Amino acid sequence: MVLHYKCPNCGDDMVFDSRSGKLACHSCGQKENIEDFPNEWITAHFSDKEVQEYHCKNCGAILLTDQDTTATVCSFCGAGVVLLDRLSGDLAPVKVIPFTISKEEAMQAFKSWCKGGILTPKGFMNADRIKNITGMYVPFWLYDMKSKAEVNATGTKVRTYTRGDYIYTETKYYDIYREMNLEYMKVPVDASEKMNDELMDKLEPYDYTQLKDFNTPYLTGYIAEKYNFTDKDLLSRIKSRIEQYVGAYIRSTILGYTSIQYKNKRIDIEQKNASYTLLPVWMVYYDYQQSEHTFAMNGQTGKIVGKPPISGKKVAAWFSGIAGTTFLLLKIITWIIGGGF
Amino acid sequence: MKKVIPVLIFILLVFTCIPYTKIFASDHKQRIYDFAALLTEEEIQELEALSNKYSAKRNTDIIILTTKNTEGRDVVEYMEDFYDKQALGYDQPYGNTAILTLDMEHREVYVAGFYRAEKYLDNDRCEQIRIKITPDLSSGNYSKAFYSFIKISYRYMGIRPGMNPDNPFFHWMFQLFISILIAGVSVGIMTYNTGGKMTVNANTYLNPKKSKIIQSWDHYIRSSVTRHRKPSNNTSSSGGIGGGGGGISSGGHSHSGSRGSF
Repeated sequence: MVLHYKCPNCGDDMVFDSRSGKLACHSCGQKENIEDFPNEWITAHFSDKEVQEYHCKNCGAILLTDQDTTATVCSFCGAGVVLLDRLSGDLAPVKVIPFTISKEEAMQAFKSWCKGGILTPKGFMNADRIKNITGMYVPFWLYDMKSKAEVNATGTKVRTYTRGDYIYTETKYYDIYREMNLEYMKVPVDASEKMNDELMDKLEPYDYTQLKDFNTPYLTGYIAEKYNFTDKDLLSRIKSRIEQYVGAYIRSTILGYTSIQYKNKRIDIEQKNASYTLLPVWMVYYDYQQSEHTFAMNGQTGKIVGKPPISGKKVAAWFSGIAGTTFLLLKIITWIIGGGF
Repeated sequence: MKKVIPVLIFILLVFTCIPYTKIFASDHKQRIYDFAALLTEEEIQELEALSNKYSAKRNTDIIILTTKNTEGRDVVEYMEDFYDKQALGYDQPYGNTAILTLDMEHREVYVAGFYRAEKYLDNDRCEQIRIKITPDLSSGNYSKAFYSFIKISYRYMGIRPGMNPDNPFFHWMFQLFISILIAGVSVGIMTYNTGGKMTVNANTYLNPKKSKIIQSWDHYIRSSVTRHRKPSNNTSSSGGIGGGGGGISSGGHSHSGSRGSF
């Protein structure tokens, strides 16, 4: 089932407006509060048969979608449409962070980011070959995790002092024990197969105060996808991440030792909750010298990640510049403290 | 403009690496007194030229004195008398002089400094120089040892008194190594960070309200103490019996020094 919002005022297509956070009509300026929209469809049941083809309600054209698409823009008439049957039941997102950065702002931010690239080639800095910029709601699981940790370790404190002709080294041994409960809230893990995990991890953090109950109007005008992995599928990934966090926390409570040796370390991690959440990402596709570079921008905070091309010349210039300056500086220091030679 | 700066720095770098090649006009002053006839005429001329060049740069005469017959005097006394008799000194008679004395009769070597050289080549530095050239003297490479003496004295006199001249920090190779290391690490970090940094850490998602340490202790168990003897500070090992120090010549000129056999 295809959902499509018409302006009650003038009948034009409505899309989500990142500035006001409301559903807006570009023709007459009509704005509607998304919180007021009904959401009973979430529990609605559609026929189990996977629909292969969707038609735009506006112009009747076939919507180009792949099997993960949940929202898209009609390539013929430009209307933002939502595929409701892929957003209900198990596939209904619980929360969403709406876009706060518009396409124009994202474009501008990306261009100035390219200009600031100190190691990128000059041709890349112009940012004149941006092939495509797409606003995308990426499916994430926000995990609430609880952990129980128990460690036993031996710590040493080493002190050296001199008495007479001898240097004494005194080593004190301590028995260290820590038992703690740690809880982590809303740790995001991307649930889309297409998205690069490393790229998505680097986009964090998101501002969770903007987290809204999901409703379909947020998706209009953007591309959205459904998850490929369930929260159970990704449990091992989140667990290894939490284990690192717990390890770092434990380490931060054991202070003042010269060396620490763990005798026993037990970390139990359990999932408390996982909520299916759509997070806003601007995907930028940039053609540079016959190869495509993909960048991702946090649609809420504007943080940009992705590997830009590196200019060998600039790297060499920076290298020789830094080496030369340091050498000169050392020479000057030598000259000041020791006299020239 | 951004490109110009590294190039400029590179040019400056090249200039600092080129040794100063300014040569002062020869003053035909004798600085090599080879009474023991250890050197060939050619070697004397080479050493004279070298000493002439470096003496001018440090405003201090760098003298080499060899003898087969001290007429019963000690090497220090012999050197002092020679200084008084010849009225050595670059700036004035009885002036700045660094002098290496080789007593072939008793196989003794003495490194000394007068006035400016006394200040810059104190007893410790004289000893460092002596230790460095003694192996060459022992094996009979006199020309090479004298050459080293002139070069090292010149170098040490360029370093403020009180500093250890053999500190690796003063060595240009060490400095170059440090520079390259710093540049490499900086550029490495810059390259690594081009793709965006991970800005979340272990505390970002921690819920402090529901996280707590239930139990924790740090119990002292035991101590162990080991001891070892302080390393001794005797550095004069090579070059046979070492040591010495300065003195005052009978003409009343104070000097620093270090003596040893070879």
